[in-house]
Amino acid sequence: MADLQSRLDQFKKAFESGAPPYNATQEAIETMHRATRELETSGLANKALKVGDCAPQFSLFNQDQVEVNSPDLLRQGPLVVSFFRGHW
Amino acid sequence: MELEALQGIYSEVKDLGAQIVVLTPELERYTRALHKKLNLTFDILTDLHLKIAEQFRLLYVLPDYLREIYRSVGNALDRFHDEPEFRLSMPARYVVDKHGIIRAADVSADYTIRPEPSDTLNALRALKDQLAPGRPSFVYPN
Repeated sequence: MADLQSRLDQFKKAFESGAPPYNATQEAIETMHRATRELETSGLANKALKVGDCAPQFSLFNQDQVEVNSPDLLRQGPLVVSFFRGHW
Repeated sequence: MELEALQGIYSEVKDLGAQIVVLTPELERYTRALHKKLNLTFDILTDLHLKIAEQFRLLYVLPDYLREIYRSVGNALDRFHDEPEFRLSMPARYVVDKHGIIRAADVSADYTIRPEPSDTLNALRALKDQLAPGRPSFVYPN
């Protein structure tokens, strides 16, 4: 399996070609680039929590509506926490 | 794609004594379908209204001009996230040690850039080496 970033790059290329199935217009692509540039320039990513910071605790429901809390998970060992914006 | 890539390293993560959770603002009726479709063996947790993403300081508000585009391609944040404010989390992946301290952090303002799962595995390996008492992570050659 190719690495994750090269697969993402491939998808981006297909999307930005404007071809089906996405049929993205040039205008939409430009707008998305503009938004990314603005977010980069804002420096917001540098304000996020960093190495050495204390991770906030959480208690949330999983896909089966079972409550899962981070202190319980951490008692068993280290934890990878990945933020995902959605399936869309 | 990122979820599948995380699934790809899941058994190695387990072997290192660690676990994976994915946080998303999506409501459970969507995470359930996604979890099943991708045959995931780790949990997707619903971070309702991005409360935890906010505590990690990952939130931003989509600019007005982008909302229309998202709407036009059917990305209805209000429906999927119950999120009328059009806020989103920047993509991010953290490795947290068992004391709750962040030991690796990848945050990207560009949503088309994601950290490699192999980097996450390396962070977990480094953590394991540091935690093992009396086990040097570097051995001097004779």
